[in-house]
Amino acid sequence: MANDPVYLDHAATTPVREEVFEAMKPFYGPRFGNPSSTHRWGREARAALDEARERVGRCLGARPDEICFTSGGTEADNLAILGAWRALKAQGRRAVVTTPIEHKAILGAVHQAAHEGAEERFLSMTPEGTVDVTSFNRLVDDDVAVCSMMWVNNEIGTIQPVPELAAKAKSHGALFHTDAVQAFGKVPIDAQKQQFDFLTISGHKFGAPKGIGALFIRRGVHLEPLMHGGTQDRGRRPGTENVAAAVGLARAAELTVEECEAHCARLAKLRDRLEAGILAKVPDAVIHGRGAPRAPHVTNISVPGTDSESLLMALDLRGIAASGGSACQSGSIEPSHVLRALGVRPDVASAAVRMSLGSLTTDASIDRVIEVFPALVAKARQLAAAE
Amino acid sequence: MTMPRERVLVAMSGGVDSSVAAAMLVEQGYDVVGATMKLFCHGEDVPDRPCCSLDSVNDARRVCEQLGIPHYVLNLESKFGHDVVDNFVDEYSRGRTPIPCVRCNTFTKFRDFLKKADAIDARWIATGHYARVIAGELCRGVDENKDQTYFLWGIDRAVLARMILPVGGLDKAQTRARAHSMGLEVIAEKPESQEICFVPDGDYARILEQRLPADAPALARGPIITSSGVVVGEHNGFARYTIGQRRGLPGGYASPMYVIAIRPQHRAVVIGTRDELLGNGLIAREVNWLIDAPRVGERVSVRVRHRAPLARAEIVRIDGDELEIALDEPVSAITPGQSVVLYDRERVVGGGFIESARQKRTSLPVLAA
Repeated sequence: MANDPVYLDHAATTPVREEVFEAMKPFYGPRFGNPSSTHRWGREARAALDEARERVGRCLGARPDEICFTSGGTEADNLAILGAWRALKAQGRRAVVTTPIEHKAILGAVHQAAHEGAEERFLSMTPEGTVDVTSFNRLVDDDVAVCSMMWVNNEIGTIQPVPELAAKAKSHGALFHTDAVQAFGKVPIDAQKQQFDFLTISGHKFGAPKGIGALFIRRGVHLEPLMHGGTQDRGRRPGTENVAAAVGLARAAELTVEECEAHCARLAKLRDRLEAGILAKVPDAVIHGRGAPRAPHVTNISVPGTDSESLLMALDLRGIAASGGSACQSGSIEPSHVLRALGVRPDVASAAVRMSLGSLTTDASIDRVIEVFPALVAKARQLAAAE
Repeated sequence: MTMPRERVLVAMSGGVDSSVAAAMLVEQGYDVVGATMKLFCHGEDVPDRPCCSLDSVNDARRVCEQLGIPHYVLNLESKFGHDVVDNFVDEYSRGRTPIPCVRCNTFTKFRDFLKKADAIDARWIATGHYARVIAGELCRGVDENKDQTYFLWGIDRAVLARMILPVGGLDKAQTRARAHSMGLEVIAEKPESQEICFVPDGDYARILEQRLPADAPALARGPIITSSGVVVGEHNGFARYTIGQRRGLPGGYASPMYVIAIRPQHRAVVIGTRDELLGNGLIAREVNWLIDAPRVGERVSVRVRHRAPLARAEIVRIDGDELEIALDEPVSAITPGQSVVLYDRERVVGGGFIESARQKRTSLPVLAA
C-alpha cells in the first residue's frame, strides 16, 4: 500500500539480515564457550572466531591476523588514530593529518592526540566534497605519524581517492588510516593492492548487529592498545571476544561483497530517480557533493528557505525516516560540520536532509518520497513567505 | 473511528506539569506529538536543573515513550539566545530587572515553537502552564498560587485560538496526583523550577560577567546614594542590584534601607526607606492586549510582579503601545523591566513591560533609563 513506512536512513543503521541472525544463533545457544578456554567448549568457540577472522579478512583482501574485532566503528577509529600516534610519537613523528569532514569518532580521536601533544593538520576540501590534493601534498610530510581519511562520507556520500593518497602518505613514511564504514560494499577494497595501513568497518551498516566492527591492521604495523588486560587478539584488544557478533559480521561481510555490484547498481538507479524526481518539482534544490564521485546510497538535499528540523519531523510523522546533520546527545539537530567545511551557506546547511538508501528501499518508497517531500517543502516555503 | 484525530504539539520540559499535560491530551484522544526545546548549551554539566538540561530532555523522552507518542528535540538555541538571553543582558546593563520568561513565552514558545506546529500540521499547541483559555480569552489558572498568566501577557492574541493548557484547571497537588495515577513516576515528584532556566544556581551576575565586556559600566564600581543625592557608599556594579533589594547596602540607618532606583547614566544605586519604595502608578511599554483594548478610565486589577497580590488601578493613558495606570493604594518595589499585567476578574486584559514607577511622594516619574 502507498503509505507503508519508508526507511531512508541506511547510513545510520541497517536491519540485521536473516542469514546473519541465523549464523549467530548457535553462539547464543550450545556453542557458548569462551574462545580462550582450552576445553572442547572453548575450542568450538575458538574455531568459529578464527574462521570469522579469516572470512572478514578475505572480504578485505587481508590476512586473518590483520583483522582486529572491535565494538564498532568508533572504537576501531580510536584504536587506529590514538594507537598509531602513541606508538609513533616516540620516533619524533609529531603530526596527525585528517579532513574536516570526518566522522566525530575520528575528529574526537585526533583532538585527543592533539591534547597529548600532536599537531593537528586539517586538509582543505573542494566545495564538492573531495580532498584538495594540493593541500594534501603540502600537509603530508615526513613529520606525520598518521593520516586519516574517510573513504565515503557519511553525510554526502562523496568518495575520496584513498588508494592514491594512501600511496603518497606511505612515501613519506606516514601511517594511513581510512574510515571505510560507509565505503564497505560500495567501493572496491583490497588490502593487497591498496596501501592503507588501517581500515575501519562497522557491522551494523551492512546487516550485522550493532556492537561489532573491525579494524584492519597491516601486518608489521605496531600500535598501542587502548585497553589493557588479557592477551586476546595479540593484546591489541583485550577482553573476551564477542564470538556471535564476529560470526555475524563475517556472514554479513561475505553477503555484502557477493552482492556488491548488483546492490550498488540498484541503489544508484533508485537514488538517481529520487534526485531527478525531487529536482523536477523543486528545481532550486541543492544536492550536496553532486559534482564529485559519490557512493550510490547517500543523497543530501537542501531546499533553501526550509529547515531540516521541521522537515524531518514532518517526514517522520508521515512515516518517512531521513536524517539531518549529526544528532547531538540531547537529540537536537546540530548544523553539519561537513557542510560547513565545504563552505555551504549556513541557511542552506540548516535545510539539509540526508536520505540513505539500502536493502529496504524499493521503487515504491522512492515514489512516495517524490510525492511527499516536494509537498512538504512547498508548504514550508509557503509558511515562511507568510511571515 | 472515522474522524481524523486532531494533532497537538506539546512543549515538554521534562517536568511534571508538561508531562501531565501531554498525558491528559493522550487520554482525551488527541494525536499528541511531544517536543523539548533546546534553548541553550548543555556544555556545562549542571545536573538536576529543572528545565532544559540534558536530564530534562531524557525525562521528557521517557514520558513520551511511556505514553507511546513521538518525541523530538527542537533546537531553538540561536533564536532564544537572540530574543531572550541577549535581551536579558541588555536590560541589566540598562539598570533594569528583566523577566526573560515573558519573552520566552512571547517569542520562543508561542511564536517559534508554533511554527514547528505549523510544519507538522498540528492544529493545536499545548504547554504545562497554569493558566486557562476560555472562549478565546486567557484566564488565570485555578490554582492561584501557581497561576502563570503573569508570564503570558505578551503572546499574540491570535495564538490563543490554538492553545490548550491542560493543567490550568488543576492545582499543583492534583497535577502530581495525576502524574502518579497515570504511572508517570519518572517525573511525578520532580522539584519545581523556580529559577531562570539558563541561569545556573540563580547566579545571574555570572551570566552578565560572561557576556558583557570586562569594563562594562553595569559591572563597574559606582556610588550608592540616597534619594537626596548624598553618597553613602560604593557598589560593585549596578547590574548586581534590583529594586527592593536590601542585601549589600550600607547599614547604620534608623530604618531598613532598600534599593529604590538605579540610575545607569550615573552608575548610581539609589537607596531609601520602605516608604520611598512605594509607587502609586506606573508607565508600561510594549503593551499587548489579549482582549479588545480597554478605554482610559476603565478600572482593572493589576499585578506588578510574580506572586504579588492583585492591586486595583485605573487606566490613565493609552498611547500606542504605551500605557499609564494609577494605583488605588501604593504598591512596593515597582521595578522597571518587570511586567505589569492587567486583569478583569479572571481574564487577562493585557500587559506590558514596566518603564517607570510614579513615586508616591514626588509624583514625578523616576526614569530608569
